[in-house]
Amino acid sequence: MTTLLILDDEPHVLSALRRMLMNQTAMPAVPDPHVVTFTSPHDAIEFVRSHPVDIVISDYRMPEMDGATFLAMVRKVAPDAARLMLSAFTDLDGIVRAINDAGIFRFVAKPWTDTDLRASIIQVLQHRHLMLENRRLADHVRAQNSVISRQQLELERLEAETPGITRVHWSDDGGVMLE
Amino acid sequence: MEAKPTRRNHGESVDAGKSAESPDVGAGKLADYPWIYALYELGQTAATGVDPLKVQQDILLHIVSGLDAESGSIAMIVDGTDDVLEIVAGTDLRPGILGSRPPRGTGVFGHVIATGQPLLINGAAAHTGLPVRLHDRPDRARHSAMCWPLRVHERTIGALAVNRAPGLPRYTVADLDRGQVLAGLLALVMANHMMHVERETRLVELSTLNAAMQRMNAALEDAQDQVIQTEKLASIGQMAAGVAHEINNPVAFVLSNLGSLESYVAQMLDVTDACIAADDSSAGVVAQTAARAHALELRNRIDLGFLRTDIAALIAESHDGLARVRAIVQDLKSFARGSSDEVWELADLHAALDSTLNIVRNEIKYKAEIETHYGALPEVEVLPSRLNQVFLNLLVNAAQSIPRKGHITITTGVKDDEAWVRIEDDGSGISKENQARIFEPFFTTKPVGEGTGLGLSVSNSIVRKHGGRIEVDSEVGRGSRFTICIPLHHTHDKLREALAALN
Repeated sequence: MTTLLILDDEPHVLSALRRMLMNQTAMPAVPDPHVVTFTSPHDAIEFVRSHPVDIVISDYRMPEMDGATFLAMVRKVAPDAARLMLSAFTDLDGIVRAINDAGIFRFVAKPWTDTDLRASIIQVLQHRHLMLENRRLADHVRAQNSVISRQQLELERLEAETPGITRVHWSDDGGVMLE
Repeated sequence: MEAKPTRRNHGESVDAGKSAESPDVGAGKLADYPWIYALYELGQTAATGVDPLKVQQDILLHIVSGLDAESGSIAMIVDGTDDVLEIVAGTDLRPGILGSRPPRGTGVFGHVIATGQPLLINGAAAHTGLPVRLHDRPDRARHSAMCWPLRVHERTIGALAVNRAPGLPRYTVADLDRGQVLAGLLALVMANHMMHVERETRLVELSTLNAAMQRMNAALEDAQDQVIQTEKLASIGQMAAGVAHEINNPVAFVLSNLGSLESYVAQMLDVTDACIAADDSSAGVVAQTAARAHALELRNRIDLGFLRTDIAALIAESHDGLARVRAIVQDLKSFARGSSDEVWELADLHAALDSTLNIVRNEIKYKAEIETHYGALPEVEVLPSRLNQVFLNLLVNAAQSIPRKGHITITTGVKDDEAWVRIEDDGSGISKENQARIFEPFFTTKPVGEGTGLGLSVSNSIVRKHGGRIEVDSEVGRGSRFTICIPLHHTHDKLREALAALN
């Protein structure tokens, strides 16, 4: 299941986006979408606090709080949720804050094109998936590394106790040469 | 023989020759009433705009004949400040003299004008000892001449001279005195004539000036229109963010809805096609069974109940979105209407306020809550698009004065033949010293690039054009209150301008 949270002060935009994302016949389709929508940033942030969310899509211009501020809060609360901004208008300052503070993955202009927006969302989701996978693998590698380093320590201890014991010298005919 | 100037009465007599008193024949016609009347008539013709030179010449000829003179001339001071003399009429003059300007203070004329006293010359002027050079023609060496200054109200305006040929009796001092009366009369006629000419010139000058002023006025009005138009565009520019948002949002969801609808319709048409195929009995039993199974499968795959409700919602929402786009475009159009097609029309100020609010609300709603308390207002004769500009300016200023989040209240009402619209905010307010300057063009406290400094100046001039005024009440930290007062009955431009000039 892919949980998509959308925040916009315009309810009609929310229902249009819901339609677009839920529609599984139009390609590319978001896999197994679960769409939650909010018009209030405070309600939205409450949801993010208590539910796992894969991607957060926010408008920029909203009466209570601008999108950059909201997404920066999301970043703090749920750093792993991908963030995307969808706006009809942003000044330079807004875009700068969205990138630097909120660390958005994509900026999509309104009016959007359905295909492009879906493709963007899927790409962001894949990117996020890769990052998460990457991190999982890195953790795995680190865990493995720690196993390796225990063995390394043992080797070093043995070597210190009996120098040369960890090194084996082979003769040309395959015999082990002892010093 | 030495000429001895002698002074008598008010006149001056110079006797350069034999002092032969001649019989009194000189001013015979002076007492003649018809002659004086004819002179008066000539003076009148001078005022009717006939060629001035001709009139002056006629007057001179009349005088010359009246004084039984052989020749005569009139010189006038043409430029009051410079005392430039010009020979304006003369008989028996050498070519080039008429219209010439003898050097100041020279000649008999110069002398007479300088002293302001009449002069009688008998004999060759060269021998009179006067600083004059009367005639260098030998045949005029001996003659009798009289010259009078032409004075009006203690001011010398010119001089008249008559000459008598050597053959005739010489003029006498009595002639000089009597001629004085004539000179007075002539002075009046000439002054009258000159005034007439001057008036004509002034009139021409005035009408030229008037035309120039009208041109300048038109240019000024054009410039003012330009300023108003520019300011309007600038304030629309400031609204661009809100307007773009307000247009792009509906366009965005309507477009997206159309995309969804397209896919819904495709799904439903698929089912319909499959149903039609399933109904086709000509296809054979096996094929029909397969078609039925296919139709059923398709039918089960789509959520018809969802499509039914969602399509209705989709269409209603899209309708709403497009209606909003249409409204904002209409408001923008009525707002941005050019200055050339503006006409005074009876307008509902509340409708004007609402249409302006539609444009600015999207910009303002992030800064302030807008409250409206409309009173009962009759329709007022105004320039609607101009007045919208005033409302827009005041609303934008109010929103910009609010640092974070505030309130804007719009109140309207009628008081003493005036409609008033009050726009009040709880923003940062205006300091007393700035309040004195807010209507000055280019005065702004906004950062460079954010305000033109023309908003309030243009608003003020628009309201004044309506015969109204803008009242300001502001306090730093508390907010500002701008009240626009407009007369219920629009008086005509001219009358209002006249009243404004009086104020």
